[in-house]
Amino acid sequence: MIRAEGATLEYSDHGRPVFACRDIDLHVNEGEFLGILGPSGSGKSSLLYLLSGLKIPTAGDIFFNGENLSSMSDGERSKARLDNFGFVFQQPYLLGYLTAIENALIANPTEQNRSIAQGLLDTLGIGHKSHRMPHELSGGEKQRVCVARALMGSPKVIFADEPTASLDHTNGAAVVSLLNEHRGGGSMVMVTHDESMLWEADRIVRIVDGSFVTPASDPQLH
Amino acid sequence: MAELKPLSAFVYLIRNFKRTAPLVGVIMLAVMLVNGIIALVDSIPYSIRTTYGYLQEYLAVTPRGLSSETPHLVEIVSKGCPVPIERVMIIRGSGCVIQSIVGKWPFVVLGMSTEDANYYLKRENTSHLTGRMFVPGAAEAIVSRNVATNLKLKLGSTLLSPDLTDNYSPHAVKVVGIAESDRWFAVDSIEYQRENHFPPIDVALIFAHNRQDQTKLDAWATKRLKGLRTQLFSYAELEKETHTMFQTLFAMLNVVIGLIVGVITLMVAMLINIYQSQRILEFGLLQALGYTKRQLVWRSLREVSAVVLLGYVFGLLLAQATLSVVDYCLMAPKAFALDHFAARALWYTVPVPIVILTAAAMTVWNRFRTFDPVGVVERRLV
Repeated sequence: MIRAEGATLEYSDHGRPVFACRDIDLHVNEGEFLGILGPSGSGKSSLLYLLSGLKIPTAGDIFFNGENLSSMSDGERSKARLDNFGFVFQQPYLLGYLTAIENALIANPTEQNRSIAQGLLDTLGIGHKSHRMPHELSGGEKQRVCVARALMGSPKVIFADEPTASLDHTNGAAVVSLLNEHRGGGSMVMVTHDESMLWEADRIVRIVDGSFVTPASDPQLH
Repeated sequence: MAELKPLSAFVYLIRNFKRTAPLVGVIMLAVMLVNGIIALVDSIPYSIRTTYGYLQEYLAVTPRGLSSETPHLVEIVSKGCPVPIERVMIIRGSGCVIQSIVGKWPFVVLGMSTEDANYYLKRENTSHLTGRMFVPGAAEAIVSRNVATNLKLKLGSTLLSPDLTDNYSPHAVKVVGIAESDRWFAVDSIEYQRENHFPPIDVALIFAHNRQDQTKLDAWATKRLKGLRTQLFSYAELEKETHTMFQTLFAMLNVVIGLIVGVITLMVAMLINIYQSQRILEFGLLQALGYTKRQLVWRSLREVSAVVLLGYVFGLLLAQATLSVVDYCLMAPKAFALDHFAARALWYTVPVPIVILTAAAMTVWNRFRTFDPVGVVERRLV
């Protein structure tokens, strides 16, 4: 489904080349929950941005269903993200002037999806707060709205970048479980520094200084 | 009831009223200011056309020399005239003044026979006469409703008097009739004028049979009397002189209005820039989720367009309301002319939304040009 071939992300720090990711080869299978584990600054978020087309590798390629994301135009990559990917970020980013259900709908804002969004919020346990504004929700509730937003439209891949970082352990674990439970047949790539959050992952790869320390090709069922 | 689309411009504008209201307010005031200034300045030439609008009905021919020349001049105009002439009046004129928003303006009291006066009143759109016709030879006059309002005259008031420098006559000329007409005019007895006013010049008023032919008659007479010792007063000439007189004033106004629009545009562009900066998180998130820059730019432009449109429409409405108050309180009591819907005033407001929208589009596009959504979702830019 997603394939990275020699993906490298290099940037310059005062003229000195720094590698956020170096020569990464990775394959994310259909329906798979892949965990990317690494300490802070290891390049795991950069890898997630490369895999999701939010960043372009400075060398190597990223393929999604055989299409090279690197060679797409900015508009084509955006469309690929909107049509196929769902995102959950570290912080529960919501638009402050929209209600919970409206925030869940922003990636798929059609009238028909409103009942689906309400159903998702019900499933995630915050259906009764669907018409509340973000400032009326707790951190955990906000992140659940983000989960609903990511699940809307049944994306082929869900990318989660430290989705538990702003939550306590209980809420964090609940969010991961909800994502995994409701992703349907879609794949999920989750980046975290907390190994305990990956207990449901099908496979975990470890990254340090932009490179894998465990071969991505060796599945490690946790 | 259908739910609102979460990313529509309407939802943003309504739910961010504290941000959008100042923008709408600034644009509204700019439009009101431009419309108001131009409408008020335009009221001067408009007043000239209105006050001396009686000339639309006839051509006045005044000899410069002997008064006995007048019939000869009329003959020159009449001979071979391309349009039928309905009536030629020989009248006398004496001067008076009326009030305008820029001070006193000269006006003429036409001395004519009662027969001519009856025709004249009808020709100048008089629906009915309050009071009566003046008595031939008596110190009596008829004024139109606008003149009466302007000079605060009622039946029995004095129009001309030996005590008035501007509105002088050897005897007190009383108002005996007020003509209900939209035109401005004052008529008295030709016998009285011949007896009491100087210089003794007979003036010819030449009326075309059809009103719409008056312009042709004026042009014909101007050609025929060219080089002769005479002076012509026609509406076309009035229009031409008014246009020339105000050309420079409006050229200066162009600069002033240009500066106002420039300052307002700069203010609005700065406000939009600030508001866009405050929405970086929103734009970053939407772009990360998959909205293209083009979609986000269009969305921002739709919001800005709605703000500009609202400001423009409310500005025009506010301008009309303000001009109505000005008209009611300041202009109408003195019968001053003010055209609320002056085409010139409306045209001057058109560049306001266009320039603001262009500046806003450039601001929005410039912000999105180098925008990196990853910087936002990584919390580097927020």
